[in-house]
Amino acid sequence: MHILLIEDDINAAKYLIKGLKESGHVVDHASDGEEGEQLALTLNFDVIVVDRMLPKLDGLSLVGKIRNEDIDTPILILSALGEVDEKVLGLKAGADDYLAKPFSFSELLARIEVLHRRTNPEVKETSIKVGSLSMNLLTRQVYRQGVEIDLQPREFRLLEFLMKRSNQVVTRTMLLEGVWEYHFDPQTNVIDVHISRLRSKIDKPFGGKEMLFTERGAGYALRSDD
Amino acid sequence: MINLFRLTSFRIIFIYIILLTLSIGLVAFYLYWSTSRDFQMRVDDEIIQESTRLSQVYKRYKEVGLIREIQYLSRTPNPNLYILRDSNNKFIAGNFSDTDSLWNLKRLDEGGVLFSFEKKNNNGEIIRKYYFRGKEFIVRNKYNLIVARDVSYENYLKERFFNTILSTSLLIIFLGLLGGYVLSRNFLNRISAINKTSLEIMDGDLSMRLPTSSNNDELNQLSLNLNNMLDRLNKLMIGMKDVSDNIAHDLRTPLNKIRTNLEVTLMSNPDLDSYQETLKEVIEDVDGVINTFNSLLAISRVDSGSVSLKKEKINIKSLIEDIIDLWEPLSEEKGVVLNNECKIDLYLAGNKNLISQAISNLIDNSIKYGSDKNIVNVGSKKNKDNIIIWVSDTGPGIQDEDKEKVLDRFVRLDTSRNTTGTGLGLSLVASMIKFHKGNIELLDAKPKGLIVKLQIPTQ
Repeated sequence: MHILLIEDDINAAKYLIKGLKESGHVVDHASDGEEGEQLALTLNFDVIVVDRMLPKLDGLSLVGKIRNEDIDTPILILSALGEVDEKVLGLKAGADDYLAKPFSFSELLARIEVLHRRTNPEVKETSIKVGSLSMNLLTRQVYRQGVEIDLQPREFRLLEFLMKRSNQVVTRTMLLEGVWEYHFDPQTNVIDVHISRLRSKIDKPFGGKEMLFTERGAGYALRSDD
Repeated sequence: MINLFRLTSFRIIFIYIILLTLSIGLVAFYLYWSTSRDFQMRVDDEIIQESTRLSQVYKRYKEVGLIREIQYLSRTPNPNLYILRDSNNKFIAGNFSDTDSLWNLKRLDEGGVLFSFEKKNNNGEIIRKYYFRGKEFIVRNKYNLIVARDVSYENYLKERFFNTILSTSLLIIFLGLLGGYVLSRNFLNRISAINKTSLEIMDGDLSMRLPTSSNNDELNQLSLNLNNMLDRLNKLMIGMKDVSDNIAHDLRTPLNKIRTNLEVTLMSNPDLDSYQETLKEVIEDVDGVINTFNSLLAISRVDSGSVSLKKEKINIKSLIEDIIDLWEPLSEEKGVVLNNECKIDLYLAGNKNLISQAISNLIDNSIKYGSDKNIVNVGSKKNKDNIIIWVSDTGPGIQDEDKEKVLDRFVRLDTSRNTTGTGLGLSLVASMIKFHKGNIELLDAKPKGLIVKLQIPTQ
């Protein structure tokens, strides 16, 4: 995909560009707010990544300007200010996601890919289907290969989150934020156990192909078994 | 010599002395002026009465009668002085004949006269000076009559009055200036002592403290406050030093591990798979280091009371339920029983994220450091204006002497066991509770184990 990276720290920008290119993306880079604004308003991007603190025009104002021009490209804000309320400010300004520095590259990549997916107009779905797994959001029932799976409410939300982002890497932080609404990272990996519980319900009884994968150092992914 | 006028206290005292002296002088002058005017008017009235009487005598008995009357008055005891002279200034009658030598005549309006007389002894020395006030009448262009009254005593009183005012004012000014000087010098001495100490502290001797005295005046309070500030700064600096020492120590360990790992991989002529394996391990180790930094940042952000940490109304019961929901699978896997003892809805104004993280850290510790068949209870209750939240376990507990230490940064008690952790979990909890103006208590559970009790004000 075509990504616009607006980041004034040259070293950080360099390794982000390298990483994104290695992952098969095309990257345009702007090193200040005004240059970023020009690029964002003239070219078409799939995702825009904006640093919160920028020379000439700061990140939040830049996001506001882009949104004022009716450009709805998904925007991810990067910031050293990692507090919840800062996140809220960023999202209010019109950004779609917010990532606090320092972050792992896999976290950034996962979020960019999820953001890109989200632009596809989100129809109000009443059911989700991934491979042989299907979820009815109204009756809150889950089936795999036609067999109903009994899930706890939290497990249901976790699976829903994963299914909506199927075939993509979802990080621990994304799960904590999206499923539990926590903006901190418990040092012990509590999410792992939740995932393995879920796995024991959706994968184990069905033998054959696994659907729920652990991506080491990155997170988890629910992949279609087709 | 100290420049007194530079001192506020001295300037104030000086201005007050000037104002006080001016007002005393004004009042005294008014008293002086009004009493002397009253006195003069009384004397003038009596003299006018007497002269009116004498003019009637003259009308009825002519010159002979007037002379006779004056001669008669001069022989009898009389407060008045009479002098009757002819047009050549020759003495005719009266009780004061020595007219030439004594007169120091000053003529006022409407025939008023002032004159004085010096009484001398045989050697010609002046014994006493008399002052007279009176009126002069010209009778038919032939005679000159003076009726006067001795006002020496009144003049004397007036003089005394004036001198007293003058000397009193001078005394006030003198004492005031002296007092001002002494007070200001005392003040200045204390200020310069403070200045001197401040300079020494600035030069690097942070153990120095400003001089204080027993009297609890503003200056002393200032010194005490500054000393308290210095104590606090010193404490913070020592804390900072400890923290940076600990950071250095704590970072060296994982960095060494990373280095060795990389070195060994490089030496062993590896294939692609083991390269990848090593890199994944290194990423995990580096993540640990980043976690340490994140925790440190979180602590200092909470400690500095960052403005973006908003408070809202939180239902503690559902907050605890959510956290238990997060931890329950892990505890079950580890064979730990995790109980929720929170039965009723309790509300407090706080930062949801911070309180969740605090409870989460405590549960993490209880699971991590607890023994087999560990039971972890989380609960809360209301106590007056506070909400009490507790996390208890049946683990080994913490020795009394370690209870305070364990809240400090980078303190890990059980170093023998290979537990992971930054040593910042409890410090973070302490900071978060301090942010909410609450307190944290570590208690012993019966028969064994640890209870961490958080007390947070509802407002």
